[in-house]
Amino acid sequence: MTALSVKQINKYFYKPVDFHVLKDISFEVEKGEFVAIMGKSGSGKSTLLYLLSTMDTDYEGSICMNGSTITGLKPDQLARYRNEHIGFVFQFHYLLPEFTVLDNVMLPALKLKKKSKEEIEHEAIRLLNLLDIKDQAPKVASKISGGQQQRVALARALINSPDIVMGDEPTGNLDSQNSQIVFDILRELARDEGQTIIAVTHDDEFAAKCDRIIELEDGELVS
Amino acid sequence: MNVNQKIATTLLTYRLRQLLVAVLSVTFGISMYVAMNSFMAGVNNIQTEITFTSMPHIKIYNELSAEITPILSGPEDPGAILMVNNQRNIRYTEGIKNADAIKKELSQMTPVVGVAAQVNQNVFIRNGVSKASATLSGIETLNENQVFNSSEYMVEGDLYELDRRSNGIILGTGLAQNIGVGMGATVYVSNSEGMSKAFKVIGLIETGANAADRSRALVSIQTARQFFSKNRSYATDIMVSVRDYAKAASIAGDISGLTNYKVEAWQEGNSQLDAANLLRDILAISVSLTIMVVAGFGIYNIMNMTVNEKIREIAILKAMGFNGGDVIEIFLTQSVVIGFIGGLIGLVFGNIIIRIIDNIPFNIATLSTLPVDYRTSDYLLAFCFGMIITFLAGYLPARKASRIDPVEILRG
Repeated sequence: MTALSVKQINKYFYKPVDFHVLKDISFEVEKGEFVAIMGKSGSGKSTLLYLLSTMDTDYEGSICMNGSTITGLKPDQLARYRNEHIGFVFQFHYLLPEFTVLDNVMLPALKLKKKSKEEIEHEAIRLLNLLDIKDQAPKVASKISGGQQQRVALARALINSPDIVMGDEPTGNLDSQNSQIVFDILRELARDEGQTIIAVTHDDEFAAKCDRIIELEDGELVS
Repeated sequence: MNVNQKIATTLLTYRLRQLLVAVLSVTFGISMYVAMNSFMAGVNNIQTEITFTSMPHIKIYNELSAEITPILSGPEDPGAILMVNNQRNIRYTEGIKNADAIKKELSQMTPVVGVAAQVNQNVFIRNGVSKASATLSGIETLNENQVFNSSEYMVEGDLYELDRRSNGIILGTGLAQNIGVGMGATVYVSNSEGMSKAFKVIGLIETGANAADRSRALVSIQTARQFFSKNRSYATDIMVSVRDYAKAASIAGDISGLTNYKVEAWQEGNSQLDAANLLRDILAISVSLTIMVVAGFGIYNIMNMTVNEKIREIAILKAMGFNGGDVIEIFLTQSVVIGFIGGLIGLVFGNIIIRIIDNIPFNIATLSTLPVDYRTSDYLLAFCFGMIITFLAGYLPARKASRIDPVEILRG
């Protein structure tokens, strides 16, 4: 089953000079696949990821996820779609520093309002337990270590059981031990729960362990 | 509490000092609004009160008509010239003839709360060699008190003593000082016909209106009628007080249908009082609104800073699926909460300031402390303006936050 299909994507930057970033990109990703997007800096890999994330809507071509076209949806519809179907992990954790670890994880689910608060809390604790940071749950997010913060961010990305998890250098800021933990979790998810993972990385070791590598060079798909 | 409000309260309570500063700026604005307007209302009230101690809301008197009807119509022959020498406009009747009937009719009108007949005449008052001109008013003590609250302004003696002593006279404090008399002294009053009568000073009155205090002498109306050789129901003026003095002009219009005498509302010829009240109100409102707008800028500044500081968190919220409306709600909730708390404290604080002003000694005219007025409408208006201003001041940064493009921020 196809989780993601990208057709004839073209993307231009107009500032500071006109620049053709992505050229006729087309590919498909199967459900449960763990895909790494690689390329040199400036090759357009992050730009591609943000198009897939539905946050950047200024492009030509079309993107389909789980059979529904997301190209051309209104901003509010896209926000709702992201909330329900996509999870994000960034190079920096971007946790809300005023909130506790538990609240940070629960926020996207509270927004979605599909479950009761108790169920959401239960699910959040389960995820934190899975990531081995359950004991940090009541602490304020700014008071835990960098590796732990990134794991909290991962738990937050997973709270709504998204179809696709996207990562922008998810391990880029972590030491090898933490990066191994994050990778293993993602790997497990793809295998056991059928979630699709798409991660931008320039870490060859990380990429080597993925199911498939999509490589970009100067905005063109190489492999 | 939904998730947006939860985020708003968490953001708000995390930085208590910043919250305190924002709340204080609203508190300051609102308490100043309440204080300034209550004070101005107090000043306006005392001004009107002083004015109406000697001036009635509506006065009825016999006026010499300014319209002169020609005694001869124009000549039929166009070649003839009409000349009337020494033409005069002569008043045939003095005073109000059927004062009792008019009084009776007036007291049946609903907006009228008091009717008092007076006999007023210019006289000379002498004490030995010192003399002064004065207006001698023959008054009906009970009715007079109803219209002017005169007994409250008695410095010495009792107003009702006039009814018991036909040779008693009450002098304005300024007048008494002018001719150098005090309580119990005997003064001689002479009228325009040259008649003179001795009176005993049985009271002193001070209303705060200087001009009146320097020229006023009160006797009972029967004494005045006798002194000026007039009949039993003679009066020169009928003074009317109404429930709402602002409506005096329209009530005067109704009264003038009842009688041919001149009916004059206080606004006629005293528009400067009306204007002064209005100007004071405009001044108070514009100054206090300015203070509130400045408080609004304070909130705007703080919220703007918060949005700039939280720009990455806003981006991540949007990435997680919060839309523009959610972001506006999160930030607008914060400023509305600030406005609400600041507003409530401001109302309490404004009330405290007003109570303090109310106790500041101020011994001029009949005042002993600074005048204030406790009006609910001031508090309601202050709170409404405060909420509107915080809403606007919070909306602009919130809208800015909602327009943040998460891609731009998250890509770094």
